[in-house]
Amino acid sequence: MSNDPITLEIIQNSIQAAADEMFAAMRKTAMSSIIYEVLDMGTGITDAEGRLASSGAGIPAFVGVLDKSVQFIVEKFGEDIKAGDVFITNDPWHGGVTHLNDLVLAMPVFADDQIIGWTANIAHNSDVGGMAPGSLSGEATEIFQEGLRLPAVKLIREGDTDQSVMDIITCNSRMPDFLLGDVWAAIASVRIGAKRLEELASKYGCGTYQRAVESFMDFGERSARAELTKLPNGTYELSEPQDDDRVYNVKITITDTEFVVDLQDNPDEDAAPTNTSRDGAVICAQMVFKSLINPESPANDGSFRALKVLTREGSVFHAREPAAIGFYFETEVRINDLIWRCLAPHMPERLPTGSFSSICGTFIGGIHPDTGRQYTIIEPQLGGWGAWEGKDGNPCIFSSFHGETYNTPAEISEARNGLYVDRMELNTAPGGEGQYTGGRGLILDYRIRTENGFLTAGFTRSKVKPWSMQNGEEGSGNYVEVNKADGTQETYSFVSGLSLTTDDVVRVVTSSGAGYGDPKKRDREAVKQDVKNGLITPSRAKELYGS
Amino acid sequence: MSKSEQRVATDVGGTFTDLVAIENKPDGVKITTAKTDTTPPNFEVGVLNVLKKGGMSAADIDFLVHGTTVVINALTERKGVTVGLITTEGFRDTLEIARGNRPDFFNLHYEKPTPFVPRYLRTEVPGRMTYKGEERAPLDLSGLPEILQLFRKEGVDAIAISLLHSYANTSHEEAVLAKVTEDWPDVSVVASHQITREWREYERTNTAVLSAYVQPVAANYLNKLNEGLSAQGLQNSPYIMQSNCGVDSLKSTSKTPITMVESGPASGFWGAAELGKLIDEPNILALDIGGTTAKCSLIENGEVRIMTDYWIERTRKSSGYPIMVPVVDLVEIGNGGGSIAWVDEFEKLHVGPHSAGALPGPAAYGKGGTDATTTDANLWLNRINRDYFCGGDAPADITAVEKALQSVGKKLGVSVDEAAQGIVRIANNNMVNALKLVSLNRGHDTRDFTLLAFGGGGPMHAVALGQELQVKKVVIPTAASVFSAWGMMMSDLRRDYFITQLASLEEGAASNIESVFKNAESAAVKTFSEEGVEKTKVSFMRYGKFRYQNQEHTTEVLLDKGITDKGIDKIAEDFRVAYEREYTYRLEAPVEMVGIHLVARAEVGKLVMKPGKLGGKDAKAAVKGTREVDYALEGKHEATLYDGDKLNPGMSFNGPAIIEDAGTTVVVHPQNSVSIDAYRNIHILLERDS
Repeated sequence: MSNDPITLEIIQNSIQAAADEMFAAMRKTAMSSIIYEVLDMGTGITDAEGRLASSGAGIPAFVGVLDKSVQFIVEKFGEDIKAGDVFITNDPWHGGVTHLNDLVLAMPVFADDQIIGWTANIAHNSDVGGMAPGSLSGEATEIFQEGLRLPAVKLIREGDTDQSVMDIITCNSRMPDFLLGDVWAAIASVRIGAKRLEELASKYGCGTYQRAVESFMDFGERSARAELTKLPNGTYELSEPQDDDRVYNVKITITDTEFVVDLQDNPDEDAAPTNTSRDGAVICAQMVFKSLINPESPANDGSFRALKVLTREGSVFHAREPAAIGFYFETEVRINDLIWRCLAPHMPERLPTGSFSSICGTFIGGIHPDTGRQYTIIEPQLGGWGAWEGKDGNPCIFSSFHGETYNTPAEISEARNGLYVDRMELNTAPGGEGQYTGGRGLILDYRIRTENGFLTAGFTRSKVKPWSMQNGEEGSGNYVEVNKADGTQETYSFVSGLSLTTDDVVRVVTSSGAGYGDPKKRDREAVKQDVKNGLITPSRAKELYGS
Repeated sequence: MSKSEQRVATDVGGTFTDLVAIENKPDGVKITTAKTDTTPPNFEVGVLNVLKKGGMSAADIDFLVHGTTVVINALTERKGVTVGLITTEGFRDTLEIARGNRPDFFNLHYEKPTPFVPRYLRTEVPGRMTYKGEERAPLDLSGLPEILQLFRKEGVDAIAISLLHSYANTSHEEAVLAKVTEDWPDVSVVASHQITREWREYERTNTAVLSAYVQPVAANYLNKLNEGLSAQGLQNSPYIMQSNCGVDSLKSTSKTPITMVESGPASGFWGAAELGKLIDEPNILALDIGGTTAKCSLIENGEVRIMTDYWIERTRKSSGYPIMVPVVDLVEIGNGGGSIAWVDEFEKLHVGPHSAGALPGPAAYGKGGTDATTTDANLWLNRINRDYFCGGDAPADITAVEKALQSVGKKLGVSVDEAAQGIVRIANNNMVNALKLVSLNRGHDTRDFTLLAFGGGGPMHAVALGQELQVKKVVIPTAASVFSAWGMMMSDLRRDYFITQLASLEEGAASNIESVFKNAESAAVKTFSEEGVEKTKVSFMRYGKFRYQNQEHTTEVLLDKGITDKGIDKIAEDFRVAYEREYTYRLEAPVEMVGIHLVARAEVGKLVMKPGKLGGKDAKAAVKGTREVDYALEGKHEATLYDGDKLNPGMSFNGPAIIEDAGTTVVVHPQNSVSIDAYRNIHILLERDS
């Protein structure tokens, strides 16, 4: 009875529920708004070898991280993995994948004296040391400048916290209270997940539990492979110039059994912190693959077995130690969009036109005028998404990198950060028009209330705009504008550690998505509504859409 | 009171209008039920019809409480009115920007929900408050005439006002409200602070907008109901069931009807809390299984948990719309008696969330349904009596059931029996996961809880779920299928006030916190007294919402009356304990208060239950036969059948057994023992004492 398909399915559902519970627990207890509000975090469950069995909610870019971390830990520690241990890593050359702010915690799950799986989570911590507040600096040229490196170490040994490790971590942070609170939230999360898996294994038996995990992965693989055969076979290539004039290249080969993403022909890694690890590049390909193949079902190891990613060591997409990687996310979102853009013309029914496609990472810090405490805003921004045949794009949602992520309400931002949000509205700048229009981006004004603040930001798709299809218009572009109290104004796409003072206004402007189809074909009634809603001026409507 | 009191609950659902009447007679409680079709758009006609069908005369009714789905239906069917929004300069797009989340995150064709007010009807006025409630820039109403002119021209029927930081200072919103009412006296208008005093501008604005959207519809409905009933001689205006498990006056409900949005499930959960007090089971897991969904909620120490984190149309596929009103904390899943079982392309079995509905309904109805549902599986396994289906109203179409199950079995490569067992097991597993969400996931140990199951399907699945969760015991209330209506009659006049107010728990904080409560309490007393409820009848419960400094999410803690500096340390400690229970660890960090939750209650003469006399244990008199029942994991057993109507207080027996009455079937598993209490509730112990 215990190996019947229904039992296996019940175990699979329960594993999914455990991953979701881990996510909810972490969200509710975290101290940094980047975790509890923005939900820049992920939870996952792997099998004993570190293959992804189930992932919680959160952001798609973190779904494929945790298996790689666990695999590193398993390899490094071998027999020295005990019940009650909790491991921590953040370094991309030691199982960390992303950048140093992202702490990964992983806990082995034991049943009948053997490891039956792992629970793990990843979350962006507000400050892990390094040369700049928030640990991210555009000036960094080596990873050593980006914070404390944790090369996969034990934080908890058989249930007992290793206070030395904890002290080293907190001592290296500019915001030790936040870090401590967030790490404890992460510990609680892996422990709750582990408890649930132990209960499952004890109820159904280890063998049945493991068969359920196996069959869940096989299910992921079967469903991916079945859909893969429906994609048009062929080899597709795209070279795309970037805002900084570098050219990125991708070649994609699709057969009935394989989906190969070749990223080898790309620039060498550079001194700026915009490199990514190979694992990071793999995750970008995984995201597009999953969206193309089977966006509905939960992702697990099996989902990605048909995918192959080729990178060149020493390139910007496969950086070598000790390259700086702080802004890896902006590079990842470019890889993701590159693959997407390369394939969209060949499968427009599966892929909309280009979106604002940037994290638009915005970092503002300073002293809260009312509490006297340090505040740090670490925010990805909302922007417009591209249109597709038959449908206008979405206004103001998060990029493909983020998912179940929430923006910060103005009311909460003003209380927490001690600044004013003068406006938060749709960006109606020209761009993104078409038979189906791109969704509108965002205008967000932060008015600084004290001296000695700073701004760091990293936006792409600033010069090279979101790409359209079928003669639609490209999107309007992302940038950040600083209107100083002294009346001067500057516009940036990348800026690091800019000083801010009272009554300076930081204006975040994000792009519209691109349009689909010739604007002349847009439905007359839709044009009328656009004008009535103030989304386009009457004169531009006339110019683009005709009478 | 010399004559026996007549209490009636009527409930207007999408398909049926139900009536339950309870009369307290000297020899016990008499329960009458009746059902008629719902009669849109003149819903009051259905209510009058069902009274007539139940043999009630409105003039004889002492206490009438009314529940309705009119608000949630108007929202989900988009049958509200045209709304215009007035908001703070720079924030007209808050409603459209929303929170920007993409729950269905691998889906690149995700479609963000469309706002209920189009951009051209979203207008702005200058003026700003700070988060502390201080005026940063004065309100400028010079543009208001032009706004109202636009609204008139565009056919706006209702106006929502939502200004930044109005939770902290309501004066700007009040000024806009006064001016709108002055310039356009007959327009329907609501300001966000009238509904909620909590922060988060998108959630509050959307709440005001959705309230405005349904206001004229609901007010009209309630008016017609009131007129119809008083024309028939009803003396006391009816009370209206709310989402916070309380009832409120018809007049008050007409002003902000959005508070009714989730009133359907609320009454059942309130009933569970009240029944728990009656039978001395203060800790309850309550489960309500209906035709299309299963809902569950946790009751601790006799109190339901009320929250304001409520969303409609929020799924794994859509971000939905928030409504910041007090709603009983519940988890709802698409898993009811009519939920359809289906096999996906990878041979995995699923149950729900699609339902066969009332038409064609489960295959067993014989109305052309070809999909197997949970009800069909229960029938096939002999849990439901084939010859007494729907209380004997209609014979079950077993041929259709077999065919439907065969089709599921074929896709799975298993027999009809195994298909039916699989459906019940998957359905149970879905419900167990939902029950875990409200219990284990929040740090509660299910072994301390009693599972109380009601609704048409609750009693059928309760024992299997209780065994899985290892609950203390399972209780099936008497008249389980109309238990929600009983809950309505047990409700108090109740209002929940949530007010955001940041406060540290440092020395000297007590007077500040005390004054926030005091102000809220006197405001509550004032509204109650305007409605004729005396001050002495009003009682309060104070909750504080706390967190560790720098956190966002809060944990609610019940506070003693009268907050003093001496008591502050205890409050902080109570928080740390509650926090640790839910999240497994504690921190040294300072604790701060984020807001208050005040519960104001006034009894409006609710039903008093009288226990019956416990008789002999022997239950033979209720036995009506035996049949072989398939208990899935526990195999097939010859179960004794009991007639639910003949089970009297004091009787007890052992499983395997089936208890049947007109509305429900209770499945008692082999190892269980059963006893009937003085109120005719069925208590099931999971392991037989021997």
